[in-house]
This record gives sequence, C-alpha cells and structure tokens, in this order.
Amino acid sequence: MQSPKKIIGMVLAVLGLLIPILIDINGLTYAGEIALGIFFMAAILWISEAVPIWSTSLLVIFLQVLLLSNKSLLLNEGNLEGFAPPPYQTFYNSMASTIIILFLGGFYLAAAAVKYGLDKNLTRMMLKLFGTRSSNVVLGLLISTATLSAFMSNTATAAMMITVVLPIIANLKADDPLRIGVAMAIPCGANIGGIATPIGTPPNAVVLGALAEQGVTISFAQWMMIAVPIVVVVLFITWRALLIIFPPQSKQLDLSIESGWNTSPLAIATYIIFGLTVLLWVTDKIHGISSSIVAFLPIASMSLLGIITKGDLKTFSWDVLWLMAGGLSLGISMRYGPAEWLIGLVDWTMFGPVIVVCLLGFIGYILSNLISNTVAATILVPIAITMGMSGAVGQTFNWILASIVVGMMVSFSMLLPISTPPNAIAMSTGMIETKHMTRIGVVVGVVGYLLSILFGLFVWKHFIPPLPVAG
Amino acid sequence: MNKIYILSVEDEVEVQDAIIRDLADFEEVFPIETAASAQEARDLIASIEKKGDYIGVIFCDHIMTGQNGVDLLVELHRKDYTRETRKVLVTAHAGLEDTVEAVNKAELGHYISKPWKKDDIQKVARTQLSEYILAKKIPPLPYMKYLDPIIMGEAIREGLIGDR
Repeated sequence: MQSPKKIIGMVLAVLGLLIPILIDINGLTYAGEIALGIFFMAAILWISEAVPIWSTSLLVIFLQVLLLSNKSLLLNEGNLEGFAPPPYQTFYNSMASTIIILFLGGFYLAAAAVKYGLDKNLTRMMLKLFGTRSSNVVLGLLISTATLSAFMSNTATAAMMITVVLPIIANLKADDPLRIGVAMAIPCGANIGGIATPIGTPPNAVVLGALAEQGVTISFAQWMMIAVPIVVVVLFITWRALLIIFPPQSKQLDLSIESGWNTSPLAIATYIIFGLTVLLWVTDKIHGISSSIVAFLPIASMSLLGIITKGDLKTFSWDVLWLMAGGLSLGISMRYGPAEWLIGLVDWTMFGPVIVVCLLGFIGYILSNLISNTVAATILVPIAITMGMSGAVGQTFNWILASIVVGMMVSFSMLLPISTPPNAIAMSTGMIETKHMTRIGVVVGVVGYLLSILFGLFVWKHFIPPLPVAG
Repeated sequence: MNKIYILSVEDEVEVQDAIIRDLADFEEVFPIETAASAQEARDLIASIEKKGDYIGVIFCDHIMTGQNGVDLLVELHRKDYTRETRKVLVTAHAGLEDTVEAVNKAELGHYISKPWKKDDIQKVARTQLSEYILAKKIPPLPYMKYLDPIIMGEAIREGLIGDR
C-alpha cells in the first residue's frame, strides 16, 4: 500500500508534467514547455521520493526520448517554432557518457579493494602513523576516512570505518565524550573526503558532466587542485571542533590494529592496478590521457583477470549510475528554455554576481540536507550555468565557479541523520544523538560555506579554464 | 516507509512486560506488538500482513496454554509471509527435543533463556532485525540506530547501498 505522501507526490508530478505542456507559457517554445514539464515532474518526484530517485532518472530519459527527440510523439513541423529536436540517441548517450564510465572505473577499483581487503589495510596503515594520543587518533580517523572516500563511495567507506572504530569505542568509558567524537569523525571524514576527486561522490560528476556539456573540461588533477586544499582545511577545522565539542577524557587510546595483507596473485594484481590507475589519474596533466580512458584500465583488466566476476558486478550501485545519467540527461533539455525561464522569474541583476553564488551555494546546502545530494546538484547546476550563459546576472558572473561551489556545498551538508548515508550509518554505533550530529554538522556547513566562497573568489579562478566566449 | 514490527508472544504478563521494557528504545523505529497466545499471534500477524507491513522478529515463549511456541514458530516458518521473519525462542523450559525441532524446522535465530540481561536481549534484537532487513532487501538507512553496526557495516561496504 502506498503512503498518502507518496500518492500526493505522484499526483503533483503528473500535474507538473502536464500543466506546462497544456498551458501556453510566455517566452517558451512548445519544446521548452515540454522540457519544463519534465523538469517539474522530475524535481517533484526526486524531492518527494514518491518513487526511488534512480527510477525517476530513467523516467526522465524515457520522456525526453518520447517527447523531445527527433522521434517525438508531440513535436511536428507545425509546433517546432525554430527548435531543432536532437536525435533520440542524445538522451541515451548520457547513460554511457565519459563521466559515467569514469564512475564505473571507480566502482571497479572500490569493489576490488573491498574484495581483497585493501580498504581495511590502507586504513590500518594510515591510522598507525597517528600514534595513540586521543586527539591524534581523531585526526587520523578523519584523514584516513577522507582519503579512502575520495576514491570509494562515501557510504561504503563510512560503513567500513565504523567496523574499524567500534573496538576503539568499546574500550572507552561510557561517559567519555570521545566516544561521540570518534564516531562522528567517520561521517565527517567520509562526506568531506568525497569532494576531493571527481569520482569521490556523484555530485562532483554532476558538476563535471554539466560543465563538459558546455565544452568546459576540468581534468582529474585539475579538480583535485581545486578540491584538495579546501578539503584539507575543512578537515583540520572539523578536527579541532570535534575535540572542543566532545572533549576527550582519555588521553590515550588503545589501538590494537593488525594488518593482514592478502598476498594472493589476484590481490597483488589488484594493488598494482589500483595504484597505476590512481597514478595515471592524478598525473593526467603530464601524459594527457583523459580520466575516462584511464578508467577503462581497471574495467577491462580486472574483468579479464577475474578480479571482478559476474557476481561482483551485481553488487555495484547501478542505481547511482542511473541516477547520475538521468541528471545529466535532464541538464540537456534544461537548455531548451526551462532554465532561462526559471531564472527569468527573478531579477538577478539587483543582487550582483557574488551574492548570487552565495545564494546558489546556500540553496544547495539547505536542499541537500533534506534530499539527495546528487539531486540537489542536478537541479541547481544547470540553473547556475544558464544564469551565466544568458547574462542574467551580468557578464562578470563566473558560472564555472558557481557550479563548483554548488557541487561542494551539497557535500558539506550533514546536519541530520537523513542528510547523507554516512550520517545514517554513524547512528548504528549507538553513540550519537541527532543533536550531536547537528552540532558538528553546523561547523562543517558554515566553514565549508565560507571557505568555498572565499576559495571561489580568490583561489580557484587560477585553476579553472576561462569562460567560453558567448555565442 | 513500511513498518517493521517486533512481535512478542508470551502468556505471562510479567515476562511480557519485561520484554517490552527492555526493548522500549527500539520502538523509535520498530513498533512492538504483543500476543498472549498462539491464536492471538496468528490474528495479529494476519492484520499486520493486511496493512502491507513487515514482521522483523518474533520473540516467542515455549510453554503456553494452547499451542506451544515451537509449533507456532514451525508453522510460521512454513508461511511465505513469515518465512524470513527471525524467530527467537524465549524460555526456561524447552526440552532438547523441542529445541532441536525449532532449530531444524523453523531455522531458529536465537535461544534466550530466562532470566536474561537487558544488554543481551537488545543485542539479539539488533542482530535479528539486521538479518531480516538484509534478507528482505529493505533499504536499511532509516533503521540504522537499532541495527547491528558490524553486520550492516560489512553489507554496506560490500555494496548494499551507494552514495545518493
């Protein structure tokens, strides 16, 4: 039986689709009205979660093919109004776009790492470097979680780290606030660390995919140069905040962590392929091979060697790929008029470019605390891009920077257990109340917000490609 | 979100109260329902099934007036709706033969002997509810606070859910 909330979501979604199509909207072509309808429907379904978010993505692609392509059931010579419908393959192509392939490569690496225990062993190796002083251990947890979640999903990393910290927590006195600090270090590290690389978390891919659609390519290493410094600074401040909010009573922590490296031939092959892929990714400036081509190295070689088997493929988060693909595809039809129309509802010139970036980042932050980070980025990034392209905010508005700020802000959102899967997973330690999460979550959000605006204004402009000349 | 119930079948009021008290925290996400006999349990299960909700775990006494606990668990194990429901026998008096039958024919998840410690029964509930959620492929995140961190952590690490 469907809950009333879901039924309302579905009804609103159908209305959202139909009303723009049936009613003549000033300033939009018929195709633009269809595209706006698809956007409303998708946004309502994604926000209400009346159906699983990835299935909404597939519906978006299907409707775009059926209604907006050269095989459209609605468009004909008489109602095109100058619109040139794209081949229907355009929308399907988003399912195999370079950014999806890049992510698939990441999935291969992560699955192989889990299979051969590389994730756990790397964690233990990193943790050992930080010694046994409580405050240093918290830093070690933040950094090792962040490092892993830059290459694996934030969710899987958080889940793995929880199993690592449980024994530490169990050894502490029941009233030691350090227990909360240790437990909260995991979702903090996982959420923040996901920002560090293009494959760290899907919102990064949404930003990069949408920019690539506009001919703006940001390489793997280039993204890291933008993201790693802010990740490091936010992690450091989060560390100090954790120690202040949850002051440790025990000064030393007993860390009995033993690594047991798997030395079977396939495990060693995994280490080599993992290392080589990451090396090629971060050095793309030197050799010039694009990250999505490098991503096929693990895809092909791990399949051939039997490191990833048919059974392993079934454990992949295909839903995440479909979710991103639908988001990328929606971005295409947002340019048929809806984005510009939505922007036109407000006179942005009265704000000025910096305020608009702040506003976009803030909306992204609030939205993604309540709904999926990927969806929040999917809705906002095309709007940010169109704001720049249309000149609605003035010529000095840098939509590349605005998109990156939105992409980061959705990842800094961690106020509530429902905000991100790592937050929900941290609840399973039994150490955390929602109020603890909100306390440290506010720090991460505020610091992340201020820093991404500051970096955006003063630092990142040196690392991003120039704005394409309009026209 | 569909509800996942904890069911306690017990004919002694004091024991029933002890179970409810020890598992009271779980009611934040797992509502507890109680029945005083096998027949009452059957009716209750039918009404939960009708609502489209789940029964995650049954804590069942063995010696009760009417049908005994092991027979009830075996019967429930043969029904599709309650096959995956985790079954826990709570008793001081089940003989070896009955216990063996419960293990073999009802895939008994756990055996709690009276009296129990609060921590122990909570741990059993966490483990059994985690196993149920994994078996039924129910999205686990809303329930995490009362699930077993190791069981769920391993499953999520191995790809149960991704970023969103």
